[in-house]
Amino acid sequence: MNSNANLTNNVQLWRIIVFGIAIIGVILIYLGRLFSLQILESADWVAQAEENRISEINLPTQRGIIFDRNDYILAQNIPSYNVVIIPADLPDDLGAIQEIFRQISEMINVPINLNEVSNENPYVPCRSEHGIAQIVEYGETSAPYVPVRIKCNVDRTTAMIIKEEAVDLPGVDIEIESIRDYPTGSLTAAIIGFLGPISAAEEEYYRQRNFIPDRDKVGYAGVERYFQSILSGHNGERLVEVDVGGQVLRNVVPPVDPTPGFNLRLTIDSRLQNAAESILVREIDEWNAYYGEMRMNSGVVIALNPKTGEVLAMVSYPSYENNRMARVIPQYYFKQLSEDPRNPMLNHAVGDELPAGSVFKLVTAVGALNEVVVTPEQIIKAPPKIVIEEKFSANVLNPRTREFIDWNEAGFGEIDFVNGLANSSNVYFYKLGGGFEDEIPEGLGICRLGTYARALGFGNYPGIELPLVEDGLIPDPTWKRINQGENWSSGDTYIASVGQGYIIATPLQVLLSASTIANDGELMRPTILREILDSDGNIIKSFVPDSVWDITSDPVIDIFEDPSSPGGCESKLTGEKKSVEPWVIEKVQEGMRQAVLNGTLTDEFENVNISVAGKTGTAEYCDKYANEKNLCIPGNWPTHAWTTAYAPYEDPEIVVIAFVYNGGEGATVAGPIVRQFLEAYFEIKAGDTAAQNP
Amino acid sequence: MSDVRTTWRHFDFWLLGAVSILSIFSIAMIRSAIAGNITLAGYDQRQALFVIIGFGVILITTAIDYRFWASINRILYYGMAGLLGVLYVVGEAIFGSARWFETTYFDIQPSELAKIIIILALAEFFSRNMGRVNDPRIIFRSLLLTFGVVLWIILQPNLGTSIVILIIWFALLWASGLNLKMLAAFAGVGIVIPIIGYPLLADYQKNRILDFLFPDPSARHGDIYNIQQALISIGSGGWLGKGYNLGTQVQLRFLKVRHSDFIFSAMAEEFGFIGTVLIIGLLLFVIYRILRAARLARDTYGALICYGVATLVAFQALVNIGVNLRLIPATGLPLPFISYGGSAMLSLLLGIGLVQSVIIRHKSA
Repeated sequence: MNSNANLTNNVQLWRIIVFGIAIIGVILIYLGRLFSLQILESADWVAQAEENRISEINLPTQRGIIFDRNDYILAQNIPSYNVVIIPADLPDDLGAIQEIFRQISEMINVPINLNEVSNENPYVPCRSEHGIAQIVEYGETSAPYVPVRIKCNVDRTTAMIIKEEAVDLPGVDIEIESIRDYPTGSLTAAIIGFLGPISAAEEEYYRQRNFIPDRDKVGYAGVERYFQSILSGHNGERLVEVDVGGQVLRNVVPPVDPTPGFNLRLTIDSRLQNAAESILVREIDEWNAYYGEMRMNSGVVIALNPKTGEVLAMVSYPSYENNRMARVIPQYYFKQLSEDPRNPMLNHAVGDELPAGSVFKLVTAVGALNEVVVTPEQIIKAPPKIVIEEKFSANVLNPRTREFIDWNEAGFGEIDFVNGLANSSNVYFYKLGGGFEDEIPEGLGICRLGTYARALGFGNYPGIELPLVEDGLIPDPTWKRINQGENWSSGDTYIASVGQGYIIATPLQVLLSASTIANDGELMRPTILREILDSDGNIIKSFVPDSVWDITSDPVIDIFEDPSSPGGCESKLTGEKKSVEPWVIEKVQEGMRQAVLNGTLTDEFENVNISVAGKTGTAEYCDKYANEKNLCIPGNWPTHAWTTAYAPYEDPEIVVIAFVYNGGEGATVAGPIVRQFLEAYFEIKAGDTAAQNP
Repeated sequence: MSDVRTTWRHFDFWLLGAVSILSIFSIAMIRSAIAGNITLAGYDQRQALFVIIGFGVILITTAIDYRFWASINRILYYGMAGLLGVLYVVGEAIFGSARWFETTYFDIQPSELAKIIIILALAEFFSRNMGRVNDPRIIFRSLLLTFGVVLWIILQPNLGTSIVILIIWFALLWASGLNLKMLAAFAGVGIVIPIIGYPLLADYQKNRILDFLFPDPSARHGDIYNIQQALISIGSGGWLGKGYNLGTQVQLRFLKVRHSDFIFSAMAEEFGFIGTVLIIGLLLFVIYRILRAARLARDTYGALICYGVATLVAFQALVNIGVNLRLIPATGLPLPFISYGGSAMLSLLLGIGLVQSVIIRHKSA
């Protein structure tokens, strides 16, 4: 029986052992791998598991609101509704999906099928045009749990309907996005600015501060940019545990709530801002109609309180519509603004450096009186023109002669200080600045002109809370040597004495010089910020006027040794300083008052029952635009129109400046703007007073 | 027949004990793995039901003399081949796929039972042809026998099960005395077949191989993502694991098919290195006890049955763990005794019953 193969086990033992050894061998390799994964590399895998499990949710905060001084809203946040689909939440059934697409398509007017998403025609949320099916397909293949935007900015009613029908529309949702809104739009755009996306260059900076680059926006211009860190607030954060579907299960650590940004109350009065802009625009339109051509098309009006430095109005015309930048910055609009020669994106009130012209004579006037270059009573001959020798250094043989002409072809005969200032006699101020024969043996000179200019606010950063603020230029011999490769000439001093030549200043700086005179010599730091408030309206930082200096008491005037000799100013510094005699300011005020009563502004201020003091300027310029139009004819350059004035003369509370680019004569073009603005100011003030004391 | 005493005295309680522990652990592990998934709710109870039925199957199979199966070998073989053939034709016509018999309560996969039937058929064939296995005609006949069943499974298509059955065929060929010359010839063919066969694979199968050889580390979905999540689950388990029901990869469902193909990773996450080694040790112990039965079997037929069952358990375990550890390409083979699957569990326990039937009838020493 045993010979029967069926009844013996003929399987060789060694074959089973080999089989067993093979299994053991593989298992040993597996155990090695298991040990390596679970023990040696454990930390790395644990980190990956944690990364899977823990998700960071950034909670967006609310940007601060910007008010004007009367709590009128200049910038706020409004909700905007986007229709989104979460591809992973759509039903499994294709027919049900189609039905949802069909319903949504009807409600929001987006076709179901349109334009495949491709590299040539990529999906850009809110921008590109694709059908619902194409957008969902794109979302499903890239990140199925992340909502994709089907249509942005649907109206509130549609959003509410979709929200109500959410049960029947699985996967469809409404995303609420906070959008910046500027009720005053272009009227205040130059001051307020606008928001834009976080740029690649700043991404790291903002990421560290818990911003989300594709979601959060930051200030690009104006107050929005300058006060970015105050307005923005802090985003909140939740560390949560999520499952594979992205569903949030619980907080891993207690969440950090978002902190809303601070609100700002500006010094701007929207009513004055509105008045200033409409007066400026109307004046420009009228003059263009008068000339029958677009001769002038941009300008600036700034008004501030000389006692506090509070800017009440700041118009830079033309501006731009910042509401158009609220969602995205439209490329064509941005391009149009960038290519506009008037540069509407620049706040010209603080960012444009211009020849000041005769308004700069205030500096020469203060300097000449304080340095006793001339006495107020001294009578100076003011013929139509004077001829002086153009010297580039001392003791030059046979120097070239140069004519200096008064704007008044008839000249002014013989005039004293007040009349010289009131009539803005060029010859009078040439003589004060550069000296003239025996009449003014030693002029003020460029060094002393510079120190008085700086004392009145020129050539320095004015300290206003805006971005892109320029500080102008008060030249001196060293500057010219370096930048022009030429020595300072005596002619340069004459021309600088009337605010021409190398001197450039922003409209704000010109206004500050007038403001300092109006405020009896005290220069207040200009400000557009009145208060910082928290989100509940409590005042965090209240307004305190900030004095830069009082030139009648603070030693701000450099004393030079042999000031009118040729050569750099630094070498002549004695290191000592002095201040300005108070009577000097009074005399300059008198001259400005006289300009209104019996001088350059008399015609413009006829029948005005406000006591105003002012100064005009007709500044010659030759920039690239004038050059392109061949307007730069020697001796007959085009001119900008300037006028600055303050009121009431006895106790000034408002100082205003108007500037019109290529406006022509200062008094006739800028003068009426200043007059109308002052009338509007006192009218509004009377209304407020009446409202307060019925 | 005095030397063929049926005595339950030889019943292998060690084997039964090890299988019991593994099966109960399986139910517990599935329970943890399906937590939070509505569509998989109740799978643990179904598995428990199958385990209970399976233990009944063990007892019944043990009681039946395994040589009875040899007597009805043809019926079993042609029955299974016919069933798979009909299923393929009908299934293809109606559902476009033929892997399951869908019943009201659960799906039955006949291909799982086919593994046991093929073990029985090949054991019967090789025991009759012992000593002639190096004759190419015998090899060819055994291959033909195998393909009578495997063909339908390949066509389903179910590459994993097909490979398992071919491996069983080869292992039985080896156990029946394949000489080194023929082994070398097989090795040569073994190298050539993948090269010829690769173009014939379905696209998803090709992709799995390509994914394994050239993984795309940034993939968020698909096989690579699944394997990556498996590695994270395993690696983050550490020495002692995160604890039962506490594995984040499992409970938050980052790990896919965690109740079946990737249950090894789920276990590794929740029970760590120690727990995993223990389970691997138990599996090895089961294989050892089956091989012991093969050695003690009173005839070649019984020995080859045991040897086939050992191959079935060992190969599926090694492939499944290898996939989980990312040492071999993704293949849908379950981990024996642990992975969810009623048909697989029943077939395995049926195999264990056959082994018990062999061992209790072994020659008394």
